[in-house]
Amino acid sequence: MQPVPTPEKYAPRDPGHGTLPIRLFGAEAAAAGVRIIEIPMPGPHADCASLRPILLAVCPAIAGLLPGCRFAVNHEFVEDRHPVKPGDEVALIGRVSGG
Amino acid sequence: MPLPWPAAGDGPGGYGALVTFDGIVRPIEEGRSIAGLQYEAYRPMADRMLLKIAGQAMEQFSLVDIEVDHSIGWVGTGECSFRLRIAAMHRKEALAATDWFIDRLKLDVPIWKAGQTPMTP
Repeated sequence: MQPVPTPEKYAPRDPGHGTLPIRLFGAEAAAAGVRIIEIPMPGPHADCASLRPILLAVCPAIAGLLPGCRFAVNHEFVEDRHPVKPGDEVALIGRVSGG
Repeated sequence: MPLPWPAAGDGPGGYGALVTFDGIVRPIEEGRSIAGLQYEAYRPMADRMLLKIAGQAMEQFSLVDIEVDHSIGWVGTGECSFRLRIAAMHRKEALAATDWFIDRLKLDVPIWKAGQTPMTP
């Protein structure tokens, strides 16, 4: 797997008012070609589950990988029902390969 | 960067078993010859997860001490990318904790590797 090239960010097609950056690593970053995807902020009562269809729409390249990914919010793995709010640091974590 | 070899005599006292596991970069990765591996990490979370897993290991296996280091960046074949040192009163729990810790690391610590062939810049 080659290192992920620039650009750093993937701009949403309709930036709108309020975006949420999602950090990518490993295979997901390689597939997307970027390390951060900015998605439209889903709404005041959003949870991580609601981020999945938005990520698919903004970045179809990760479609095959997304089902095997977990979300981390503020450096902790969370369930899909975990709420997301502006200011949270959100990462999409797929299969890791350390050790 | 690869991890250096530990100095003789390093470590806590009061234990009967000290297990040191070194993860070495193999020359073959996914069937291809490689010159080494490039490691990346989601650093704040990787640090937090390593500490969390270490704490769980200390409690679950009644360890005396645990140390873990993982390289980030380039590590060539034959070099050490990961070191785990576990001290316990007896070998049974030291060996079991080593296996358990590595299994957890490979599932939950956000570190990734990318193999690079000798011709890859």
